[in-house]
Amino acid sequence: MLTITVNGKKREVHSAEDTPLLYVLRDELDVTSPQFGCGLAQCGACSVLLDGKEVRSCITPAVVAAGKEVTTLEGLPDRWAKQQHLSPAQAAKTLHPVQEAWIEQQVHLCGFCQNGMMIKATELLESKQNPSVEEIKDTFTNSGPSPHLCRCGSYVAIIEAVRFASTLMAKGGAQ
Amino acid sequence: MIGFTEQTTDVYGAQLSRRGFMKAGGALMVGFGLLRSGAAEAAAANTSLRAFDASLPGSWIEIRPDNTVLFRTGKSDFGQGTIYTAYRQIVAEELDLPFEAITTVVSGDTDVTADGGGTFDLLGHGSPNIRKAAAYTRQAILQLASEHLAVPADQLSTHDGMVSGGGKQVRYGDLVKGKDLKLTIPVSGDLTSIIGLAVGGNPPMKPVSSYKVIGKSYKNSIIAEKVKHQEPWVTNVKLPGMLHARTIHPPTLGSRLVSAGKVDKQKYPNAQVIVKGDLVAVVAPTEWEAIQASGQVAGATKWTEWKGLPGKEKLYQYLRNEADWNATPVQKSRKSAGDVASGMKSAAKVLKATYELPYMKHAPIGPTVAVADYRPDGVVTVHTHTQNAQALRGELAMMLGVNTGKVIVKTYAGAGHYGRSNGGNAGAEDEAVLLSKELGKPVRVQWMRNDDIQWSTQSPAAFTDIRIGLDGNGRIVAYEADHHQPAGQDDRPIGAVLAGLPTMPAPSEKGGMLTSIANGSADPWQYDAVPNLEERYHGTFQIGQKASPLAIGLRDHSMRTPTQYQQNFPRELAISDAAALAGADPLQFRIDHAKEERLIHVLQRLREESAWQTRPSPQPAAASTGSTPVRGQGVSVMFRGGVYWACACQIAVIPATGDVKVEKYTIVVDPGIVVNPEQLKRQIEGGAVMGISQALYEEVAFNESAVTAADWISYPILKMNEISEIKVVLLNNPSVGSYGQGSEAANALASPAIAAAVFDATGKSIRRLPLRSVYVKELLKA
Ligand code: FES
Ligand code: FES
Repeated sequence: MLTITVNGKKREVHSAEDTPLLYVLRDELDVTSPQFGCGLAQCGACSVLLDGKEVRSCITPAVVAAGKEVTTLEGLPDRWAKQQHLSPAQAAKTLHPVQEAWIEQQVHLCGFCQNGMMIKATELLESKQNPSVEEIKDTFTNSGPSPHLCRCGSYVAIIEAVRFASTLMAKGGAQ
Repeated sequence: MIGFTEQTTDVYGAQLSRRGFMKAGGALMVGFGLLRSGAAEAAAANTSLRAFDASLPGSWIEIRPDNTVLFRTGKSDFGQGTIYTAYRQIVAEELDLPFEAITTVVSGDTDVTADGGGTFDLLGHGSPNIRKAAAYTRQAILQLASEHLAVPADQLSTHDGMVSGGGKQVRYGDLVKGKDLKLTIPVSGDLTSIIGLAVGGNPPMKPVSSYKVIGKSYKNSIIAEKVKHQEPWVTNVKLPGMLHARTIHPPTLGSRLVSAGKVDKQKYPNAQVIVKGDLVAVVAPTEWEAIQASGQVAGATKWTEWKGLPGKEKLYQYLRNEADWNATPVQKSRKSAGDVASGMKSAAKVLKATYELPYMKHAPIGPTVAVADYRPDGVVTVHTHTQNAQALRGELAMMLGVNTGKVIVKTYAGAGHYGRSNGGNAGAEDEAVLLSKELGKPVRVQWMRNDDIQWSTQSPAAFTDIRIGLDGNGRIVAYEADHHQPAGQDDRPIGAVLAGLPTMPAPSEKGGMLTSIANGSADPWQYDAVPNLEERYHGTFQIGQKASPLAIGLRDHSMRTPTQYQQNFPRELAISDAAALAGADPLQFRIDHAKEERLIHVLQRLREESAWQTRPSPQPAAASTGSTPVRGQGVSVMFRGGVYWACACQIAVIPATGDVKVEKYTIVVDPGIVVNPEQLKRQIEGGAVMGISQALYEEVAFNESAVTAADWISYPILKMNEISEIKVVLLNNPSVGSYGQGSEAANALASPAIAAAVFDATGKSIRRLPLRSVYVKELLKA
């Protein structure tokens, strides 16, 4: 049995150790924001943060996450609340600035890739406060196992949303 | 309910009935009644068998006592956002309510929505069902208010959810409070056909000049739901006792099953194999066991060999020389004019060229997935993500040999399909139903990435021969085109085909609408000043379908701008080629041959907005050698869904490597009435990116047996660092009086503009897509 911290909670995992984290999250733990897009680390739909770093849960064996901290889209508001030391009452009303930005900029088309896009944006903005358009493009294309792909063509909107999120974060979030 | 005699009155052909009083609640429910006249009678009898239960409450629109409104639509959302934005705006506008009063949108599910039809053409040439339904409802409200206030209806007006006149006023909600009111509006059509039911009659619509809600950028409510992960995705549907399945599709598009492999029970103790004809699946309690076991069983499963496709390398040769173009009559465009032969004879110069387009994939980012729950009473509920739930319902009922009443389709959010499921099935549903029926448990089928690329339909390949005659002044004196394309729509559910169960027929010369191999005009001619014109359309069978023992082959399906893309790419590129032959600027050349003012206007605006350089192509510094980038510009136009579109692309090519980069994409649109500018802009940006992707990368690889593309490496799409600057210019044009639609035109237009721009930069003619660097490099060397 493995123990994985998922969105701040310690969870016991009964699946076999080599089960990809994606199926452990979705099927065993009912954490369903990471999506199956390719199962081949080629698209980014299944992305999660593992100790703050974006990984592809479709090819990451569960055992790799043992004793570590997994953050998914469901856990982004708490992650932000903790980083900002928000009171429980404030935290309950707060989304992660990346989520605020995705809504404000009306990013989604079908949205199936956007889980991975928001995870990638969070990773980027935690390491770089004010990325340029070129840096955003480069990060979503060249960092990690593969480019983050969007078939609906939302790249323009994503770039605008990442820029917007960075200004929100600089102000300490949406007020 | 207190005893009451039902009273019915006429509302512009709809029937308003007052059926009684209710102690609590009350509402005005808007349902439908089938039009019964002449030939419609037989169709109606047929439809009533399959009909949505019209006795269900609020089958279309529901006005509640608190002045809020619910509406239902058989359409779903695939990222257009239309049902949550434009539809809400249209309903609010026609009902004279604030946008926020439309609190509930019920969509897609066959048991709770009334009209069916595919999720395409959402603004339905300016008057979708929902607009008319709302217009009837407003008239019914006026009638109720007239009785309530004792003021003649023609002295009443509506605003913000109130009716006023004669110094009195009443809220809509107060008119329905405690009452059981039903408005029955006339409809016609077949619920489970691809287009579903259509609202009939002509209720008075609000004048465009009084619009308050339409034209504003309301936010799409579903976005926040998805961002907060509150909207249920189809992938997340879990039912008690549900099993996971993976289908093992044949290795070729014509292989028959010899023997299915056995599960290695030591490794996968809970997995089992199910075989139905040539359909093989592995089922297990957990998804990961099903995936692993299906891999093991696939390796042990034996199939016959099959070869019956030309292979990608010989595609165009096959299409020209071997495909049977005589099985179905050649069709001609209605715009054909003059005498092309004599026009061509009189020409000073003639352009003669062939343009070729490969097979392309819809390639949803997530593969098809469905959960089916077949119950002992024979009723099956299917949870899926489809653009056309009612049509899917019809297909599943046909497969099972039951009345459609036995099939319920529930729809959820999922990956975009771009037309792939507009005729019903998305891929996994029929397989899930067959497995659930067999096992007596709910079954979830999800395709793997390779299944979704290799066993789905594609946008058909095509080629077009064009001849353009120019007179001594460089004007087009004759235009002649022969468009060739295999059948474009095959909606047979693939699991049913493999299992040998009933489906609609494969496309053939005998088929009707959507099952025919006939090819027809899909790209309306735009150059009305051309005196002699002839466009011909040649159709044939899907490649490999007749040779395949499974009757499968390369199945085709509409994708975004079906057949119009296949016809617009050659036409628009040929017009640019003809402009070059005439020594004319390609944008001005288009204006010079157009008569429609809206088209001329979008082209003029495009010239300004894109910083177009007015000059002939190729550009003076064009080069086909060297490792410094050379730049070029190209233009294209399209008329689609009542909308005029013009697009300019500025690109850079490095001749030594063949790398093409689109630097700027500008599009000018005159849609008529713009319903929601921000949402439309996002749709167009998305279309532009997909269009650039198609132009630069997309082509389905296949050999003599099967589709060999299998993942995102072998079917590459555009990455974020390859996007260009994208500029969208919306020209709101209320005088047109309708809401234009068809933002997918933005993706079709990229291809001919980019190809023309590569010619402008290099002086080498482009006649084929995609413009991958290997191909461009080779072309520039030639
Ligand atoms: S599903 Fe994991 S990268 Fe595509
Ligand atoms: S939004 Fe549909 S794939 Fe990205």
